[in-house]
Amino acid sequence: MATEKKFVIPPAMLPETGMREVAGNDGKTYLVRNDAMFTGMQHAQGEFSEFFLALRDECRIFGHRCPGCNHIIVPPFEKLCPPCNFNKMTKEYVLDIGITVATPVIVVFAPARFKDEVPFALGYVYLATADNSFTDSALFLRMRTTQGAIRPGIFGKETPVKIVFRDVRRGEILDIFAVPQSELTAAQIAKTPLLESDLEWNRVETPHWTVTPERADALKKVVRSFQLLGERIATSPRAIKDLANWERNVEVRTGGGTFWFRIQDGTLEVHDGPHSGTANLVLTIEDPMPLLRWVENTLNTSGESLTSPPLTDFVIEGRLLLNKTELETVTRLDRITRSLRRDANAG
Amino acid sequence: MGQQVAIIGSGMTQCRSRWTEKTFWELAQEAVANAVKDAGIHINEVNAGVVGIYNDIFEFQAIPESGLQGIVGLANKPLMRVSSGGATGAYSMLAGYNMVASGQYDLVLVFGVEKALDCYDYEARSATPAVVQTIGYSWDPWFERPLGAHASASYAAVVQAYMDEHPGDLTPMARAKVVELLCQHAQKNPYAQRLGEKVTADQVLNSRFIVHPIRSLETCVYTEGACALIFASEKVARSMERVGHAPTWISGVGAANEPYFVGWDINRYKVLHRIYSDHLATKRALDMAHLSIKDIQVIELHDAYIPQLMITLAEMGVVPLGRANDLVEEGIIMPGGRILVNPSGGLVFGGHFVGGSNMMSTWSVMREFTEQNLQFGMIHGTGASLSMYGCVFVLERRS
Repeated sequence: MATEKKFVIPPAMLPETGMREVAGNDGKTYLVRNDAMFTGMQHAQGEFSEFFLALRDECRIFGHRCPGCNHIIVPPFEKLCPPCNFNKMTKEYVLDIGITVATPVIVVFAPARFKDEVPFALGYVYLATADNSFTDSALFLRMRTTQGAIRPGIFGKETPVKIVFRDVRRGEILDIFAVPQSELTAAQIAKTPLLESDLEWNRVETPHWTVTPERADALKKVVRSFQLLGERIATSPRAIKDLANWERNVEVRTGGGTFWFRIQDGTLEVHDGPHSGTANLVLTIEDPMPLLRWVENTLNTSGESLTSPPLTDFVIEGRLLLNKTELETVTRLDRITRSLRRDANAG
Repeated sequence: MGQQVAIIGSGMTQCRSRWTEKTFWELAQEAVANAVKDAGIHINEVNAGVVGIYNDIFEFQAIPESGLQGIVGLANKPLMRVSSGGATGAYSMLAGYNMVASGQYDLVLVFGVEKALDCYDYEARSATPAVVQTIGYSWDPWFERPLGAHASASYAAVVQAYMDEHPGDLTPMARAKVVELLCQHAQKNPYAQRLGEKVTADQVLNSRFIVHPIRSLETCVYTEGACALIFASEKVARSMERVGHAPTWISGVGAANEPYFVGWDINRYKVLHRIYSDHLATKRALDMAHLSIKDIQVIELHDAYIPQLMITLAEMGVVPLGRANDLVEEGIIMPGGRILVNPSGGLVFGGHFVGGSNMMSTWSVMREFTEQNLQFGMIHGTGASLSMYGCVFVLERRS
């Protein structure tokens, strides 16, 4: 099966050789050397190979059941059952439906190698077994929604889920993920295996709301404040850096109307009305007031720094909907709050 | 049960997010020298040592303890390295305790040291993603790490499952008030990393999520630093006592580690909404000391995350499970409350140099014994995936 060629360590993460001087707290000069703890690996998958091959080649999941205590574990992390004094366990296929153990968590700040994938959800799933029960141990999985970016409220405790197989599988745990059954048709739930391409992704339905005069007025203030933000960014080296190497046309739909802004070459340019073409990213928020509080908080470089939550939290809380899983535009905007403050205080 | 064990000296370095001025060699030596001085002994009297170092990558060296052997004054003596995730400090103390309690040694040096912020993500031009990645290497390479699992996600999973099980507990305001309290405590800790900082509940509530449902101001800091303790047999401790140097006695020890995989049967798997290891370790330590949790006046517990601190206190029996809000709302841990919690500012404000932060907790309890004339205290360490490790000590000051 063809696989996409990617580097384990992205070239941008590789340090150049170098030694630099830094000032210590005691006023003396100290040295810092660019380096890396670097070891290439050809990491043996050993006894787990069979499990991952089944994901890749059969689109099936199996566990190990102990004939003594009848426990079935998925993933099959051991072949012998310790509580039964290392009784030999047997292979047993399980179903591709299950329930969550608890509400999955949503990762916003990820390890270095995953920082381009946020936000993503991680959760534990008990899979259904052929005898109308569930596995005794839970499988840890990525949890996804077909409806834009992941947010709270999509999954909870004991949410029925369906396991979806990626179209291109490599023989690893990322070959599968879970989606809520509530987002699927009966036919999709019944289909085995259900492939990623069987589903329609990033279906964000525009909420139905009535534009009220209060919200329209608030939106005017939001647009004006965003325009002012664009001007302030142009005077802040740190804020310019926050938006550098990033180009996006972003449409913002609210209960007070729509506007859009362009991020390009470290600048932010704001326009009334909807974007005339296809925006790279669509942000949807019914009440524009939280946006207004955020932008006012960002523009206020002298007061308390945390009078508004960051935009990232609006996304995570589900107040600000993204039409696709791409948090970077939002996190770059959030960085500007601190950058404007630091540059203002510096001089 | 073996012979009695006392702690007769402690030494700290300053906690900092980064020491470009010192390597872990100098940090360790400084803490050990301070502990030896505090105990009033010569390092040559020490028979053996235990060193807690959590992570080789942070130290940029495999078997990093090797370079410390002579530096800490233990040439040609045994020095054992312990690495047990976040609970490395507490487990190092357990090893040191057993060395003395067994009767093998009279004086054992127990110390912990850690670097962290030398890690650097050259793409993000920031240390933090690389530190998070390094800690993320603690997760298994087949089933969890490829998904992007890391410490915050792991502890958040426990917190979220607890909140599913006990709706209404761990309210954002109760958690924010705990942060505010620990910030105030830290201002009295001269070694605290966040000395001089003021964090309010409102700031906590408006800080960003790092992993939903945990916010950035509810998390421990990354710290570089060291702490050392001197463990002594009863014979040595009594001789110190006669010259006016009051020892701190270890009255109880308890430890338990939960299994790695999640499931419903608490005897075989990790039950996600519990930190059962904390429950078991506390019970074992208190039983050994013939005490109940009600006897404990001060607890320095491992607050990797504030909601985890609240669950741990419930697992310890300070409040029932599902009633952790009472810690704040009924004032149990608030100023003037029944129990003093993390007077050092804990790992959130004091600092979390992983190999030795539980030893800083011990230093803090010993300080409270003296300054507030308390008799019974407890320290706790947790760590690894899903907070699965638990290690607890009951400390006692005898008049």
